[in-house]
Amino acid sequence: MTDAVTSNDEIHEQIRKDYAAGFVSDIESDTIEPGLNEDVIRFISAKKGEPEWMTDWRLKAFAAWQEMEEPDWAHVDYEKPDFQALSYYSAPKSMADGPKSLDEVDPKLLETYDKLGIPLHEQMALAGVAVDAVFDSVSVATTFREKLAEAGVIFMPISEAVHEHPELVKKHLGTVVPQRDNFYSALNSAVFSDGSFVYIPKGVRCPMELSTYFRINEAKTGQFERTLIIADEGSHVSYLEGCTAPMRDENQLQAGVVELVACDDAEIKYSTVQNWYPGDEEGKGGIYNFVTKRAVAHTNAKVSWTQVETGSAVTWKYPSCVLKGDNSVGEFYSVALTNNFQQADTGTKMIHLGKNTKSTIISKGISAGKSQNAYRGLVRMNPNAEGARNYTQCDSLLIGDQCGAHTFPYIESKHPSAVVEHEATTSTVSDDQLFLCRQRGIDTEKAVSMIVNGFCKEVFKELPMEFAVEAGKLLEISLEGSVG
Amino acid sequence: MISIQNLQAKVEEKDILKGLSLDIKPGEVHAIMGPNGAGKSTLGNVLAGRDGYEVTGGSATLNGKDILDLEAEERAREGLFLAFQYPVEIPGVSNLEFLKASVDAVREHQGKDALDSVKFLKLAREKCKAVNLDQSFLKRGVNEGFSGGEKKRNELMQMMLLEPSLCILDETDSGLDIDALQVVANGVNAMRDPNRSFIVVTHYQRLLDYIVPDYVHVLADGKIVKSGGKELALELEEKGYSWLDTTTGAQ
Amino acid sequence: MSETHTMSNFQQAQLNALAESTQSWLGDLNSAGREAFEQAPWPTRKTEAFKYCSLRTLTDDPRAATAPATTASTDAIRAAADIPHFDGYQLVLVNGQVNTELSDALALEQVTLLSQASTEQQALAKEYLGKSLGKTVAGDLDPSHLFNQLNNASLQDAVLVEIKRNSRLDKPLQLCYLNTEADAGFTVNGRVLVVLETGAELELVEHYASLDGTNDNSGDNSFTNAMTEVVVGDNARLIHYRLQLMHNDAAHIGSVWVNLKRDANYQAFHLALGSQLTRNDIVVHHSVGGSHSDINGVYVPLGKQLVDFHTCIEHAVAHCTSNEIFRGIINDQAKAVFNGRIHIHKDAQKTLAELSNKNLLLTNKAEINTKPELEIYADDVKCAHGATVAQLDDKARFYLQSRGISEDEAQVMLSFGFINELLDAMPDKAIGHWLRPILAKRFGREQSFDEDLVETV
Repeated sequence: MTDAVTSNDEIHEQIRKDYAAGFVSDIESDTIEPGLNEDVIRFISAKKGEPEWMTDWRLKAFAAWQEMEEPDWAHVDYEKPDFQALSYYSAPKSMADGPKSLDEVDPKLLETYDKLGIPLHEQMALAGVAVDAVFDSVSVATTFREKLAEAGVIFMPISEAVHEHPELVKKHLGTVVPQRDNFYSALNSAVFSDGSFVYIPKGVRCPMELSTYFRINEAKTGQFERTLIIADEGSHVSYLEGCTAPMRDENQLQAGVVELVACDDAEIKYSTVQNWYPGDEEGKGGIYNFVTKRAVAHTNAKVSWTQVETGSAVTWKYPSCVLKGDNSVGEFYSVALTNNFQQADTGTKMIHLGKNTKSTIISKGISAGKSQNAYRGLVRMNPNAEGARNYTQCDSLLIGDQCGAHTFPYIESKHPSAVVEHEATTSTVSDDQLFLCRQRGIDTEKAVSMIVNGFCKEVFKELPMEFAVEAGKLLEISLEGSVG
Repeated sequence: MISIQNLQAKVEEKDILKGLSLDIKPGEVHAIMGPNGAGKSTLGNVLAGRDGYEVTGGSATLNGKDILDLEAEERAREGLFLAFQYPVEIPGVSNLEFLKASVDAVREHQGKDALDSVKFLKLAREKCKAVNLDQSFLKRGVNEGFSGGEKKRNELMQMMLLEPSLCILDETDSGLDIDALQVVANGVNAMRDPNRSFIVVTHYQRLLDYIVPDYVHVLADGKIVKSGGKELALELEEKGYSWLDTTTGAQ
Repeated sequence: MSETHTMSNFQQAQLNALAESTQSWLGDLNSAGREAFEQAPWPTRKTEAFKYCSLRTLTDDPRAATAPATTASTDAIRAAADIPHFDGYQLVLVNGQVNTELSDALALEQVTLLSQASTEQQALAKEYLGKSLGKTVAGDLDPSHLFNQLNNASLQDAVLVEIKRNSRLDKPLQLCYLNTEADAGFTVNGRVLVVLETGAELELVEHYASLDGTNDNSGDNSFTNAMTEVVVGDNARLIHYRLQLMHNDAAHIGSVWVNLKRDANYQAFHLALGSQLTRNDIVVHHSVGGSHSDINGVYVPLGKQLVDFHTCIEHAVAHCTSNEIFRGIINDQAKAVFNGRIHIHKDAQKTLAELSNKNLLLTNKAEINTKPELEIYADDVKCAHGATVAQLDDKARFYLQSRGISEDEAQVMLSFGFINELLDAMPDKAIGHWLRPILAKRFGREQSFDEDLVETV
């Protein structure tokens, strides 16, 4: 979707500066040999000069991972990655290796940005977005850090936070998504290379939107980013995440972990626009996107996940909320679009533990081409969730008769005063609708995009404004050629 | 305005139009009547370029331009407007958004500047008023939850906004009560213009009391079997279509 | 399965108890069933189809003893099988054995036992048994078909109902399975095959109960493993009730396989009032265009009962419609599971499919797990599902209370109303009449409803 590294001068500058400052300058080899064992983990840890507790933490995760099996319950079908064939660490040697100017960037990728019509730097200027860019595995730049520091906000690569704020990292890392939570979270815990760390102090309203851009560039690397956001009591933060990758024939693995901690009365809004390379029209290549995202909401806290997912060959993710504190609120707004041979199995989990907790799920799935698009969700009302409420609306739009749309909502309730409502519908872009539009002079692609945008309206309105526009255009691009 | 020569078309492998010819000059209103299954709605759909309607012979030229090879939206931009018998609902797409996209597309084709949002909104409100639709309809999904009469008035409003040169009204009167019919007819009459022609397809003579045609044609078994002045409609109303059977052999 | 496969003690005990096949022409079905049953992995919580359905009841006590002959009097059996005001043919089985005295249906040419089948009827059975969907049934239900395989393995007799072309049975047919208490838990493998030819019509009532007639006393410790296969021919119409009112100690696993042909119409009502374990798999296969199904059901578990409905509506072809409504009220420490799947195959265009599942939890120890699923591979379809877990409407309750009705009474009335809607939707008034007081009692109302009042409302 957006290419932080190549389209923003300021970031370029930052990158150079950071490299000059020795941020990654001691790294000689940029990519280690494929394969995974304890030595590789020690290598990663050593490269980062991590303290012993961090190395031990990784090794513990690795031990757990070795006992686990790759799950296969999702409604997706793909060739399982060979974990020994992947490289677990890759950092740009120097800017000489990275794209120096737009000329060196994949032209098709640029074309996409052109079509989006909103260059990244404009976007950021518009919103005053502070950006942390993760290029392959390392965090290369964090802008606006000083301005944020004035407000007491910590926004830095997690690799630095390990050194500078070990007490915060130690206290929270792995508390929301335990190492053993699942196969990929264990793997990530063992090998994660970088990601963002955010801490918002008590009562602080973060003065600007925070943002991270992830980009996988190297071939045959896995990206295992790790994001940890802690919103202390009564604080407020809005965080945007954008993802992109160039086109490659082989499948690449992206297995991130995002942990959010919303303390009492805090609010976290986490928005994602995911446009990893989806593979070509024949289904060749593309990213495997197996991400674990979870938030804990304490008393009166609110966590809101908004995602627009158009990329990746296989997506498997369920941004979730554990509503631990009384009166806490969880929200999930999602648009997931699949085209060609893409497969998505995505949704959310809302775990209601506290009294009067409230959750809302709005999921819009769009399937086109020969793709398969599944919503999978869990709403659980635990025995103490007195007065808890959930509302779920789950709609599917099918474009063409070769695709599939699926809904697998799990609802578990153990409290008589908890109320759960789930609704799902399906619809299609019908020939009649298209003909009406065409008869009024609107061509098919425009008509489809109007209908699709209308279908997604409820989710787009949750996105920050400039992202909503971009998301709409992204859908148009993703759907190109799927109708008519 | 439009010249249709020996038009033949089939739907799902079935011949529906079997050599229909019709010449309409600017400013004229032609009514097309006929029994069920005669091909009345097919004519509108074929002229508008709906998928699934296959032209197997003949020609149709609008303002001298062959339209049968054009895409549906290109025909619309050339000034052909079809008012649907059953306007479809498009949930999630607001009427306003839809209308703006449509007007923009047509104006662009005509080499006119796009209307800015303020001007467009003013215009849309005006037309809304003209067809007696509440302003709130502009914000609702296209035809979503509209009553039958509201849908027809919405069609009329679009016609007013797009100012087409040829309007085809496909059974616009079906399902309307007298009051609604009058609103629609008044709208149509207000749009009558020396440079605009109408094809009014109807099953009932009633509509023609309000929209008085210059010519009436009877369509049966895919052909025009009889043409006349407005008095022909009255004759049809009185005698039905069966008296035509002997002359046409139509079932 | 590998050689290291270890069977559950349930499988072991059931296999040991399997009798030698006496009907040679069923031998293949028996041996294939036996082999598959032996090799099937035992479902655990990790088995998706049994995620919420513990089978501990069966592993704790496999109930594999031979069914004892009953000592009950004919009057007692008649009373247990009776549905007041119901005018129909009966076929009554006690502990799996037919009671000929009470089974007037056996005099009908449309109803027979497999053990007494003519060559022609045997041919029909051969064509459809285990293959009623036009393919091997149970394949869709991996691995719960383990119980179907057990049924196949043990199959010696079955009830065979055949309604010929353009004819109808003049009265409803009641199949009544009654089980008794025994020293050792035993298994009854019930099997029913119903074939409606083109234009045929039938009302079928499957009635599973315990012999002393009530369902809340302990007693009947049997395990019923019932399998019903139904073929509804072109333009044929079947009204199907499947009612379970077993003892609290009993266990019931059932499956229903329905194959709907062109323009077939199928209307079903399922009732589960308990057993400590109830698991039903319902598969409705719209195999030819124009067919319509209405599948409704009610479950009202209490105590520590577990009831699990898995339904699957297969839309294999275009132009079919289905509508499914299940409602449950879960009391005490009971647990209910509902899994409703709608599967629209590729090319099944113009399908209309709807599913609704609503639940009430009455206590904070009760539990519901519901999962309405859509799996859609065609675009020009209209599908919707909804599931709710909620309380009774406070406004409605208050309204009743404001008219002088006690809170408890209001609760009963509203609960009853919640499921009575589905009962009312079914055509057989006698069954509604019979079930209403039974349901009312479930909601803690000792006296029965004023039936006349209910009927006139």
